[in-house]
Amino acid sequence: MRLRAAAAAAALLACAACSSQGGARDPGRVVQARPARAAPFSIAGRLYAVKARTLYRFSGTRVTALTHGIAVMDPAISGDGSELAFAQFGDQASTIMLTGSQRMEPRALTPATGPGGRLWAAEPAFAPDGRSLAFLTDRGKGGGPNDLAVWTVDLASRAARPLTRPFAYTGGDSDDVFRPRAEGELLFTTFLYEGDPPAPAARLTWHSLRGGSESYLSPAGERNFQPAPSPDGRFLAFIRARSGGDDLEIVSLPPGPPAPGPPFLTQSATLLQAGVVARPVWAPDGREIAFLMLRGGSYDLYVLKLAVDATGVHPAGPPVALTNGSFFDADSRLAWSP
Amino acid sequence: MALEGPGSAKAWDRPRWLALGALIAAFLIVCATAYLAPILALFGQRDPSRPGAPVASPATTPPPLDATHRVNVLLLGSDNDQKVQADAVLTQTMIVASIDPGHHQLVLLSIPRDLWVDVPGHGSEKIDAAYRQGGAALARATVEARLRIPIHYYAWVGLGGLVAVIDRMGGVDVDVLHPVLDDTYPDDLRGSGYGYTRVFIPAGPQHLDGDHALQYVRSRHGDLLSDFGRSARQQQVLLALQRRVSGMDLLAEAPALARDMNGHVKTDLDPLRAAQLALYVRALGLKDIQQVYLLPPLVADALSADGQQILVPDWPLIGQRMRQLFGNDLLG
Repeated sequence: MRLRAAAAAAALLACAACSSQGGARDPGRVVQARPARAAPFSIAGRLYAVKARTLYRFSGTRVTALTHGIAVMDPAISGDGSELAFAQFGDQASTIMLTGSQRMEPRALTPATGPGGRLWAAEPAFAPDGRSLAFLTDRGKGGGPNDLAVWTVDLASRAARPLTRPFAYTGGDSDDVFRPRAEGELLFTTFLYEGDPPAPAARLTWHSLRGGSESYLSPAGERNFQPAPSPDGRFLAFIRARSGGDDLEIVSLPPGPPAPGPPFLTQSATLLQAGVVARPVWAPDGREIAFLMLRGGSYDLYVLKLAVDATGVHPAGPPVALTNGSFFDADSRLAWSP
Repeated sequence: MALEGPGSAKAWDRPRWLALGALIAAFLIVCATAYLAPILALFGQRDPSRPGAPVASPATTPPPLDATHRVNVLLLGSDNDQKVQADAVLTQTMIVASIDPGHHQLVLLSIPRDLWVDVPGHGSEKIDAAYRQGGAALARATVEARLRIPIHYYAWVGLGGLVAVIDRMGGVDVDVLHPVLDDTYPDDLRGSGYGYTRVFIPAGPQHLDGDHALQYVRSRHGDLLSDFGRSARQQQVLLALQRRVSGMDLLAEAPALARDMNGHVKTDLDPLRAAQLALYVRALGLKDIQQVYLLPPLVADALSADGQQILVPDWPLIGQRMRQLFGNDLLG
């Protein structure tokens, strides 16, 4: 008996030496967090997230894979929840696809190639009136630097035009999103280099679709990105990179264009400081924010309940995990619809 | 009164105990061999000296294994594709990792590849040519001669090795500083090695597998800071690897990591010292790590006589910076 036990222990040790795996591993499926003796967290409406380039929808306690055999990123949902857009990646190019949210029949909205060669397209964002989309693309590079700019495409005519002009050789602009309940106000992240010697910076930027004017919302020399306006357009959540982590911040957005003077995001408050947080998105009723948080080497979905009072927006408790060890794609946006 | 059956203790006579002992010993030998073989194979791979090239050994003998002496390791990263004569490639990365147990600190010093220096025996060249001309020995000798940093060990990692190691670790978590777009990224790990591919890595925190981590540290065509930007990204991924190692069972992972790196890594570190350094570095926090780059005004853009874009060093300023970092540990 002891002989067999010794042999088994030795064999196990040999196997461990031969076939060990490194670090936390993607289980290849979505693992819902389930608190002890409790049901999984129930999502009001529909929350979209991407894992291993597959689009998933969370609704109630149910999780559904919506795409199969294609590589997708950056889901976006129209204001009324009827249409779904996402970026589909192919051979060294990507296109924006549009489909009904109930029935997946995606059709390409942007070209995969242009006069300058293959094109990237990503991060679609519906305009509040639902008639156009903003998106990122390196279209129009014409042999120069292929930085990303924010473009807009009309959903009916498919006519597209650039909205922003990125700084050259910075990678370009990102995180385009319309301010809800506002006329032609776009928010995005400008990537640039600042300081001496120059260092990478990211500044939240306000852009008027009416006159094309732009203002920085966040101070110089910092990295603030991934703006997420609340459904009523009164607050802005975003990510602030600090030494050692990326925090979830919030600030109130005064109506209309930003006032002249120093960027007002210096008055922001930290909603969550918990290592690395990414891709905030508001619940349609504005009472919760979902985001991805890095835990044990895996980006998982979390929800933070919010309390709104006269002084602003505050966390109404600790963040709740929707998933556990599920390795969601943090380079892809989340979307949340009614 | 208990009866003694065939399975009772008394029935285990001396020959059976000996047989059991021999079996256990045999298993242990098998285990040890399975565990150590890939590690010993890895550390047996050193950089061969090249015919006609000066062979330099460390200017100082490596310090003893204790908690007071600084240990400097020259990390070299380069192409390992088949387009060029075997191993005669430029280094894309030169980082001095200086581990100072006395001050519980790690300094990562990136040396720009375009730094214009006297390469011993070869005249003025970009420092990335030292490895091509004389392997790790000449790269080490050049750093020691010009920056006065004693290089106790070196570790050369090829492209495939970096990809394999990062994949073995399950990827790395990096906050990508800017979107990375590159239409002419060398596709030299596949096919003929002469092709190009398009790269797109969105900005922000994310998980990178080996291929994408390599693209992140290697791409430079879309970066205004060019090689300086790339150096910052290389250090970023190094720190992400350090954080990843912190959560790993290194003892269990060592053989698999060694197998992945086999053929992609050359080093004169011995397994004991490598294990010691790895265990030390993985316990460091972010505040214990100082990231250093040779930026203007320590260097200045210029054109060489033969039209190369180079970085001309301001040696007095660099010397001053080296003294701040390394104090009395610099070579005389």
